[in-house]
Amino acid sequence: MKSLVKEFTKGIIKENATFVLALGLCPTLAVSVSVVNGIGMGIAATFVLLGSSLIVSLIKDFIPSKIRIPCYIVIIATFVTIAELCLKAYSPALDRSLGIYVPLIVVNCMVLGRAEAFACKNNLISSFCDGLGMGVGFTLALILISAIREFLGSGQILGYTLFKGFEPVFVFGMPSGALLVIGLLLGFFNLLNNKKT
Amino acid sequence: MKEVARYGFILALICIIAAGLLAGVNTLTRSKIAAQAQAEEQAALKEVMPQAAKFTEVKLGQEKLYYKAVDTQDNLIGFVFTANGKGYSSVIKTLTGMFLNGKISAIKVMSLNETPGLGMRVTKNSFTRQFNNQDALSLSGVQAITGATISSKAIMNSVVKKAQEIKELIKSEK
Repeated sequence: MKSLVKEFTKGIIKENATFVLALGLCPTLAVSVSVVNGIGMGIAATFVLLGSSLIVSLIKDFIPSKIRIPCYIVIIATFVTIAELCLKAYSPALDRSLGIYVPLIVVNCMVLGRAEAFACKNNLISSFCDGLGMGVGFTLALILISAIREFLGSGQILGYTLFKGFEPVFVFGMPSGALLVIGLLLGFFNLLNNKKT
Repeated sequence: MKEVARYGFILALICIIAAGLLAGVNTLTRSKIAAQAQAEEQAALKEVMPQAAKFTEVKLGQEKLYYKAVDTQDNLIGFVFTANGKGYSSVIKTLTGMFLNGKISAIKVMSLNETPGLGMRVTKNSFTRQFNNQDALSLSGVQAITGATISSKAIMNSVVKKAQEIKELIKSEK
């Protein structure tokens, strides 16, 4: 039980996909302009991660190691397509603002990385905890980045204006602003981790 | 050789299961997605011509030409059309409502990918509001946004051009 909790929490802080492993940065850079986008992307990626981790760990003995990568990709792509169809059907506005980055979850190295590094060696329950932890960590990281960017770039959080008379800094709404924010946060998290050891 | 066949079989099996699953999800969501697209289209049409009660598509073959807008008594009151203009970094699609007398009811920018903070400002109300009640063929009262001249002009020129085309079409129909 204790080890399961550990599998779950390591994805949030110690092995956070964005800030420590630096995986899946492309969608992070692209969609983190607003908190709503960040949450939507995080949930979609978590769903894919959970689904693919579960299936991969379930059929890991059935997949020959020589063709494991194409098998993983097919499994991941299936879940991504399911997520995309559901987004289109139930939340078209979010689907439009996430755009091409939903289908691109297929090539999010965080998802394949988890299948390859964890799910194919561990049992169902720990894979579930690992996938959930990684997904939650990714979502929290996206929320943090997009909150900073939405506030600085447009003066709003979740679409609500916080202060009157705050002049937004446009650069934070653009990709260069995303690089700045992520770079500084990466440095900050590394500093925290270094202090601990 | 035997191994290759086995690998192929396993991969094919996974693909078949995946395809079956996707087909199922697709059937579940297809009607919902189509309904969403339709509702969105109707909402956008309503936005550029709130006075109309119903819109009917006018098609030439497969191509959508424009929409006829009718009021509650089924009288034709105007047309709604989509204008495409080449902006600074994308094609800007604008939905335009035009009354029978050639005056614009309202416009709505449907899709674009211009520079954030510059060209993207053409979606703002302060710009699009200027089009209301303008003559569609001249747009004399519309001012381009400072710093977003190319994007603004793209919308204006495409609306004027398309309005001309629509007028020709309607004339030839009569």
